[in-house]
Amino acid sequence: MLIVALLRCTDLRAEVDPLTGAVSRDPRTASLSAADAAALEHALRIADTWGGRVLALTAGGPEADGPLREALALGAEVRRVPLHSSYIEELAVDERSLAKLVVSALGENRPDLVLCADRSADRGTGALPAFVAHELGVVQAPGLVALQVEGDQLVAERRLDFGRRERMRVPLPAVCSVEGAGVRLRRASLPASLAAANATIPLVDVALPASPVRVVQARPTRPRPRHLPAPTGTSRERLLALTGALLSHEPPTVVGPVGAAEAADALLDFLVRHGYLSEARTGWAVP
Amino acid sequence: MGAGPAGAAAALTAARAGASVVLLERGPFPGSKNVYGGVVYGRVLDEVLPRWWEEVPVQRWVTRRSTMVLTETQALTVDFRTVAWGEAPYNGCTTFRSDFDSWLAGKAVEAGAQLVTSTVATGLIREGGTVVGVRTDRPDGDLRAKVVIAADGVNSFLAKELGLLPSTDAAHLTLGVKEVLSLPREVIDERFGVRGDEGVDVEILGCTRGIPGGGFVYTNKETVSVGVVVSLEHLTAAKVRPEELIADLKAHPAIAPWVRGAEVKEYAAHLIPEGGYDHFPTLHADGLLVAGDAAGMCLAAGIWLEGVNFAIGSGLAAGRAAAAAAQTGADLASYRKDLESTFVLQDHKRLRKAPGLVLSPRVQGQYPGLIADLVEGMFTVTNPTPKPGVVRLLRAAANKHGVKLRHLAVDALAGGRTFR
Repeated sequence: MLIVALLRCTDLRAEVDPLTGAVSRDPRTASLSAADAAALEHALRIADTWGGRVLALTAGGPEADGPLREALALGAEVRRVPLHSSYIEELAVDERSLAKLVVSALGENRPDLVLCADRSADRGTGALPAFVAHELGVVQAPGLVALQVEGDQLVAERRLDFGRRERMRVPLPAVCSVEGAGVRLRRASLPASLAAANATIPLVDVALPASPVRVVQARPTRPRPRHLPAPTGTSRERLLALTGALLSHEPPTVVGPVGAAEAADALLDFLVRHGYLSEARTGWAVP
Repeated sequence: MGAGPAGAAAALTAARAGASVVLLERGPFPGSKNVYGGVVYGRVLDEVLPRWWEEVPVQRWVTRRSTMVLTETQALTVDFRTVAWGEAPYNGCTTFRSDFDSWLAGKAVEAGAQLVTSTVATGLIREGGTVVGVRTDRPDGDLRAKVVIAADGVNSFLAKELGLLPSTDAAHLTLGVKEVLSLPREVIDERFGVRGDEGVDVEILGCTRGIPGGGFVYTNKETVSVGVVVSLEHLTAAKVRPEELIADLKAHPAIAPWVRGAEVKEYAAHLIPEGGYDHFPTLHADGLLVAGDAAGMCLAAGIWLEGVNFAIGSGLAAGRAAAAAAQTGADLASYRKDLESTFVLQDHKRLRKAPGLVLSPRVQGQYPGLIADLVEGMFTVTNPTPKPGVVRLLRAAANKHGVKLRHLAVDALAGGRTFR
């Protein structure tokens, strides 16, 4: 069984010039984000349980070799696809091209499971897992906060709106993208770290597919200016509108001193009365 | 242990001598957790890295050195500059520790040392009183070694574990705090009167609200480091927060024009071992050497404030002694003898009285005002009253600041003996 941990190694504390938007990245602080670390840990756990092997694969510059050596010390095989390390050049690589690149780097080794971060820490589009699943022609399970083996099945848990969770079985082969939650990447032993410290990271030399995206300029992201209409009315009217003076409103209600149960009833009553809470969801009989 | 200047220098010499060396660093890369004022004097590297200045990650070469005495409203500056310090082989440079330490540790790795980062030494492995390795926080993290070099900083837990350092020693520690302020390069050049790679080092006395210590201003490429170094005990007693002292310094009429409009980019603080020669720990034990800040190798002698070069010097000696011990079973006591034959202990020994003198109440609390008032009197034109004589001005300033002339004589004599 082959489990691929598709990792993004980047400077998590890159400096952005507030005026020019120029991004300065320090290769010495390149590391895995919490989500990438979680993806690698899940890969190692699943491989431990099912007896598979883990391949940690990344596309990037030599700054990725440090985190890959850590993965090597943890028992994973590692590969790096050499890619531009300049920020502007990286911008020109869209997720679809990147997905094609990493899938072609796998060659004939079709993985049973691909694990990656739900979104990268620096670019953050979250589109790569879907493109990788498309290129491999396998299912995709995005936004996972838990992933575990139950017997011969892989059970995942997704975060949904309103605090709900969704548990689902993931059929293999699949691409699972995880959030940086629930697990912490194990530490490599000292002998393994020493053995991996000077290891040469194998490179997979595949050509980057032509990208339909052409970057002509990179600028800092600025919010669009919001149109504000010119004030109308007299200054007195505007002041009244702003302060709400002379308008009828519900005065503050002082309840108590009462016990905790009565106070909770009063609060629930208020929320239901103003439509913030439905009577059914409280589970309380509201008078 | 520790890939700071002392640890990296030790690893460099030991690896070059053919020893098998592991350099353990707690941070993700060498220098990532290290703090200092801002100037490195690299002459000590000449013997091990010829023409080091061609590749050291320098911010600016210090070509202008100022010593400043401040009161709340006055400033007296003795300013020296020389073109020679801006040319090879240079004298001192401002540099960032994350760059410098990474570079020096890289030299150790090139020499054959194995660098392991993100690994904390949690204790020593001992057999019958002899240190035979270290425990780390990694799984299966025991590492056995013929010699352990504790270069793990001012709060060396390894040296403390052996009782070489006291568990607390506030009396011989100072606290250094600094802000790194961002300014455009051309603004720094203009305000400090430098150009190109030229830089300025300003050491300041009398800017710490009477708390024994001093201040500094160093120029980097596009930042200025402003900070103070104060006695830890007296700072605690004064109930002053260190950032208040930096705020005072930045607001002083002599400093404010330099840093006007600057933006704080970084704030850092660190303890400094300033006890000097008389308070060094035992520098070696069976199987262990202590180097750098862990050994108190910081020269704080008023006009000389140096640490990194002493750390490197002690590290080089520790590396030599460790390699000899590992390969031939030589006695580790040779480390201290080696240090005594170099500037590391000779300078400290010669200036052993300097910390006490420089941090004395009169030098810290009374002399800055006395000197500033004396100079103000000398240069204030009092027409139509004739100019007063210098002795009269000195007496008046001494009286104003509660200094008796015999105190001046005593301190002058002590200063002469200390700095002879």
